[in-house]
Amino acid sequence: METKIIETMDVTKKINGHSILADVSFSIEKGSITGLLGPNGAGKTTIIRLLNGVIDASHGRISVLGKNPKTEGEEIRKNSGIVTESASLYHDMTAWDNLKFFSRIYGVNDERRITYLLDQFDLLEVKDKLVGTFSTGMKKRVSLAKALLHNPKLLFLDEPTNGLDPDGINSVIYYLDRVNKEEDVTILICSHVLHQLEHICDSYLFLKKGRIIEKGTKHDLEEKYLKKIRLLVETGLTVKERSYMGYPIEHKGQGRIEFSLSSKDEIAPLLREILKETWIHSSVITNRSLESLYFKIAGEHNE
Amino acid sequence: MNKHIIKAIAVKDIKSIFSSKKVWIPMVILSFILCIACPGVITYVGIHTDLLNQPSEDIEKPIQAVIEQFPAEEMRNTLSELPTLGSKFVYYFMHFMLIPLFLMTATIHSMVTASNSFAGEKERKTLETLLFSPISVYDLFLGKVLASLIPTLFMTYCSFIINMAVVNLMANKAFDSLLFLDAGWMVFMFWVIPAVVLFNILLNILVSARVKSFQEAQQFGGIMILPVVGIIISQASGLFFLSPFILFLIGTGLFIGNALLLRFITRFNQRNALFESQIH
Ligand SMILES: Nc1ncnc2c1ncn2[C@@H]1O[C@H](COP(=O)(O)OP(=O)(O)OP(=O)(O)O)[C@@H](O)[C@H]1O
Ligand SMILES: [Mg+2]
Repeated sequence: METKIIETMDVTKKINGHSILADVSFSIEKGSITGLLGPNGAGKTTIIRLLNGVIDASHGRISVLGKNPKTEGEEIRKNSGIVTESASLYHDMTAWDNLKFFSRIYGVNDERRITYLLDQFDLLEVKDKLVGTFSTGMKKRVSLAKALLHNPKLLFLDEPTNGLDPDGINSVIYYLDRVNKEEDVTILICSHVLHQLEHICDSYLFLKKGRIIEKGTKHDLEEKYLKKIRLLVETGLTVKERSYMGYPIEHKGQGRIEFSLSSKDEIAPLLREILKETWIHSSVITNRSLESLYFKIAGEHNE
Repeated sequence: MNKHIIKAIAVKDIKSIFSSKKVWIPMVILSFILCIACPGVITYVGIHTDLLNQPSEDIEKPIQAVIEQFPAEEMRNTLSELPTLGSKFVYYFMHFMLIPLFLMTATIHSMVTASNSFAGEKERKTLETLLFSPISVYDLFLGKVLASLIPTLFMTYCSFIINMAVVNLMANKAFDSLLFLDAGWMVFMFWVIPAVVLFNILLNILVSARVKSFQEAQQFGGIMILPVVGIIISQASGLFFLSPFILFLIGTGLFIGNALLLRFITRFNQRNALFESQIH
């Protein structure tokens, strides 16, 4: 059973003598959603281009859907959908005409697929309006529909939430999750907007200055980087000292205390102890967000 | 080669040309002025007024000079047999001086449509999406060529037919035979014009695929008018005479050039090269 849908080994990309990617190696599981994270200019877009064979790597091996993008790019492009950074639609055409055009390009003859996708993305009512008159969020949704026209096995998304308001981000995330589950599409998302992403990604690749500095599932990364756990507890507990059960504490306002623990194993005994004395309404680990992990990882790789 | 994809691209671009008033209205106006109004007015003035028949040295002398020196005997005889100076001038104009006007119109149309199609794709950032799709670069270029060739030829032939009707209706009593239905015009219209238009389009696409911006492509396009201007001057001054045979040779030469150009374009514009030079 082949479960790796994308594999790269020591991929290097130079443009005009400038090294843009160096020794990039990673693999992506079939059916997963992977977040490719990194600051501006890290090389995220370049990786997507290499994987689609629209530019060639200087060194290294790449395999996408079992094909080499350099020689069999056509096959890869037939089976993958992409939403590029700029929405890349024809503004002087209607949503319907845009999708109709791209379905011809992708060899899809079934108009029901267009109607289905327009419906899925809540665009059916505006299908005969010019795309130029659409909001950023609507354009993104048309692009997503465009990328899914041909039932791709793989979906590449370059900053899919850029320029969207929180509602727009949520709806894109929601659609992606559905596409992944219902159509079994493997998704690679590039982004530098981190919150929201953590709810749908199975694993992450952290890219910085053209190098993969870390990769893994959120669980793996937490194991590795979450040396201190900050647990915020909503409780009736009153502590006069600067610590409780030997754990340093910090008061975070009325009835909220943050404990510093050194591992998750210490959470249960702590809560049990508090419950003996008083009530607890909630407890949450505050430093496990993707964003805090990101800064931690980026920080450790700052040389 | 995938016919469906080529057709999809061509149809989309042609629709975009005819749905954008900014593109097609100037084209129609230019065709109307140069290829219909201009010959129409000249025919009317030459045949239905006496304006050109005044015994005036200024007009008569150069026309007579051209007629006397004319290299083709048949044409010289026809011209000298025509009764009035006005009809001589109309006959001469319709046979020679109108050709460069049509050539110029077709050249401009092909430049406008070609830059709308290829450079326009780049300008709208949709080229990137197209390169990410399973289209071969060859099909993309071919679709773009058709997208510009078809509207240009359509406009040119429409104005030719209207011009033929207008001029012949006004001039039918003055000449023995219908104007424009001779070998020269036929070879010109159906052999030279397609060759020239195709040449312009290919050159335009080649340049668009090399330069970064729309403006640069437009500036380069301007240079393509120069040969046309050269032909206008030489035709008007009777410097050389484009016989049907010479026209045929010119067309053939251009078609050979086109085949070479197309090969050159596809060979030097592989997807990755195109992508790296065009997408930022
Ligand atoms: N065609 C090119 N020519 C020259 N340099 C390039 C080219 N494409 C990319 N680069 C450089 O490569 C680096 C990585 O670019 P890339 O677009 O992959 O970054 P990114 O991670 O997608 O950034 P962003 O978040 O801003 O989209 C940048 O420094 C960029 O300037
Ligand atoms: Mg990018």
